[in-house]
Amino acid sequence: MIDALLQGFAVAFQPGNLMFIFLGVLVGQIVGALPGLGPAAGMALLLPLTFGLEPVTAIMMLAGIMYGGQYGGTLTSVLINVPGEASGVMTAMDGHAMARKGRAGAALSIAAIGSFIAGIGAVAAVAVITPPLASFGLKFNAPEYFLLAALGIIATGSLGQAPIRSLLAGVLGLTIALIGVDPLTGTPRLNFGFPALYQGIDFIPVAIGVFGIAEVLASLERSEKIEPIKTRLKDMWLTAEDWATCRFSILRGGVIGLFVGIMPGAGASVASLLSYLTERRFSKHPERFGNGAIDGVAAAEAANNSAAHGALIPMLSLGIPGSASSAVLLAALILHGIKPGPMLMAQEGALVWGLIASMFLGNVFLLILNLPMAPLFAALLRIPYTYLAPGILVISLVGAYAATLSMGTVWMCIAFGILGWLMMKFDIPRAPLVLALVLAPLMESSLRQSLLLSLGSPMIFIERPIAAVLLVAVLFSLIAPIVRVMRRRDKVKA
Amino acid sequence: MLKLNLGAALVLGLSVAAASAQDMRAPEGPIEFTVGAGAGGTPDVIMRTVAQIMNEEGIVENPIVVQNRSGAGHSNAYNHVLALPGDENTLLTLASPVFTTPIVQGTPSVIDQITPIAGFIQTELMLLTTPDSAWTGLQDMVAAATAAPGTVRVAGGASGGNDHVATGLIETAAGITLTYIPHESGGAARATFLGGNVELHFATLSEGMEQITAGTAKPLAILSAARRTEPGVADIPTAQEQGVDVVYTQFWGVGGPPNLDPAVAAWWADKFRQVTETQRWKDGLAANMQTGNFYALDEAKTYFAAEQETFRTVLTKIGLAK
Repeated sequence: MIDALLQGFAVAFQPGNLMFIFLGVLVGQIVGALPGLGPAAGMALLLPLTFGLEPVTAIMMLAGIMYGGQYGGTLTSVLINVPGEASGVMTAMDGHAMARKGRAGAALSIAAIGSFIAGIGAVAAVAVITPPLASFGLKFNAPEYFLLAALGIIATGSLGQAPIRSLLAGVLGLTIALIGVDPLTGTPRLNFGFPALYQGIDFIPVAIGVFGIAEVLASLERSEKIEPIKTRLKDMWLTAEDWATCRFSILRGGVIGLFVGIMPGAGASVASLLSYLTERRFSKHPERFGNGAIDGVAAAEAANNSAAHGALIPMLSLGIPGSASSAVLLAALILHGIKPGPMLMAQEGALVWGLIASMFLGNVFLLILNLPMAPLFAALLRIPYTYLAPGILVISLVGAYAATLSMGTVWMCIAFGILGWLMMKFDIPRAPLVLALVLAPLMESSLRQSLLLSLGSPMIFIERPIAAVLLVAVLFSLIAPIVRVMRRRDKVKA
Repeated sequence: MLKLNLGAALVLGLSVAAASAQDMRAPEGPIEFTVGAGAGGTPDVIMRTVAQIMNEEGIVENPIVVQNRSGAGHSNAYNHVLALPGDENTLLTLASPVFTTPIVQGTPSVIDQITPIAGFIQTELMLLTTPDSAWTGLQDMVAAATAAPGTVRVAGGASGGNDHVATGLIETAAGITLTYIPHESGGAARATFLGGNVELHFATLSEGMEQITAGTAKPLAILSAARRTEPGVADIPTAQEQGVDVVYTQFWGVGGPPNLDPAVAAWWADKFRQVTETQRWKDGLAANMQTGNFYALDEAKTYFAAEQETFRTVLTKIGLAK
């Protein structure tokens, strides 16, 4: 295996390949930063340009876009509170709070470092233990996905100061997710006869509207001069204390991300949510989360990057794409005349090992690209908001259009901008709405698939060992807050 | 023919006899191939391959962009094309959801409105079961499903899609009831099958052979009219041989917007035929064990109409048709 990896490096280090890996991660960085245009869309756009290349070069470049996108997505999340991708919602929570305190540079730096460490770790895992990990990933199916999603949805209740308000936002998100077509029977529902709603409401216009446009709307109300966020150079860099806080968050986030990434049904957004929640659960200062906890940013970013790499494990060893971007990578293999599937690693060893080696290099490129740029991008916030706001609006609306190439999405985005602004006014947290929207389809389909698999018996959630463990976690997260409240009441009485 | 300029007439003269019977006119400017599947889906891969061959072999000089307008069972894509009557620069990729989505949603048929151009590629399917299954043939499965109706489970793609239709055909032909479990994508369905959660799964021949070679699946039948000839696949009996009268093939094609100038449609049909005659296309078909029966214009219209009838019958039977 060491020999194979060294040969992979020999391929990746060829000057032409190095150039294309760099090009790939650069494009990934850019499309990741543009809300609406994710890595999968960026890969599809560049796919035809790779036809003239050697297959291995093309795959290296396209994979670069895939994980480069995870680095790029951080930028808009932190700076303007618009997650470029579903997996950036958790980063925006604390990253943007940090930016408001003038620590955007530190948030971007820790995100880059966290992504790098987790990325390298995940690639090492891909290299060493792909086949056993892939078969572990297959142990997760509908029942486990349902419980994971349920865990996430319940936890959204805790994202904010008042659980009731968070739950309200979460339930609104769940309701919006039901609009469209029943995923199992194909029956249209909740579309009130509007054909435009047949396709359901996608995450992208909602996230862009509720976060980006709402912020701009809210700023319009403050007619007096808005002070630009104070961003001093000495606050840009990470302190020793930051690093001490984040070391283990990165490690935990990376491991959680890897495991969620190898499950063909879950994705980077589930990974970043779970690792963020884990950090907060085990943090000595859970109250900092949501108000600019640097370990929250580190964990979420580490998790989404390692999940993006982990998604390659089922793709390489089973031919099952674990995410939208790995599906495009799979298509690229086919278009280059390579048959993906369980025999890929045996038949195309040179390509697979070249790809793995290229991911080590690509992550190094991304770290070099991102670290020096972090203070530079953070300095953008020194621009008075009056000038920044139109730019945010343009980026948001162009992003919404680019996602589907239809004006309908742009209108939807504006409508959700107004909803987001109302939520800000009534002090209802916005993240639970967006997270519920992301998790609901997974939760709904997998619950119904589970019951079809079990021919109607709910025992399927107890009989499968992994599901049983998750069920305990779900019950615990439901009961624990109630117990806490009751105890507090007892104390008050006494 | 009088309208054609000399250059075009010369090209036509050199072309096959059948073509000269019809006026042909090339569209001007860049072309969009509208695909209702996401990047990486089978229709996407097919159209990208076609575009690549057309441009690189000089069959079509116009730049071609493959545009994914995915979602909502291809209706984003077909509604886009239906809203462009007479447009000469947009072609719609025809895959089964273009036929089934209107049937399921109770909206007007798409295939009756567009301008049929060509059906040019087909994929046969095989029915797989888990490698440790005691079943050795299709009749064992039928016996199990007869003894306990609904206990045999199939993991497949979207509700009303190809796998669902194939399941419906087998249920009707064998007089059994299966439990169909839809998934958001074929990949997700395969993960459910490989995880040992269900008994049955449909795969294309090349996907199926990969699984069989890797020891992760066992074939029960191919749903073709006759056995294949390739080594390995040739050993797999057809469903008909095993007494279950089902022949089902996935197919893809292209159509133009409504009221497309027949001369442009004829030009496209000729171009698609030329693509299917290249060695690269034939090699691709052989490598993926796909079939390349070619139907142009009126033949395509008849062919698509017959397929639509099959879909409507099965979807009505499953209870999905509106």
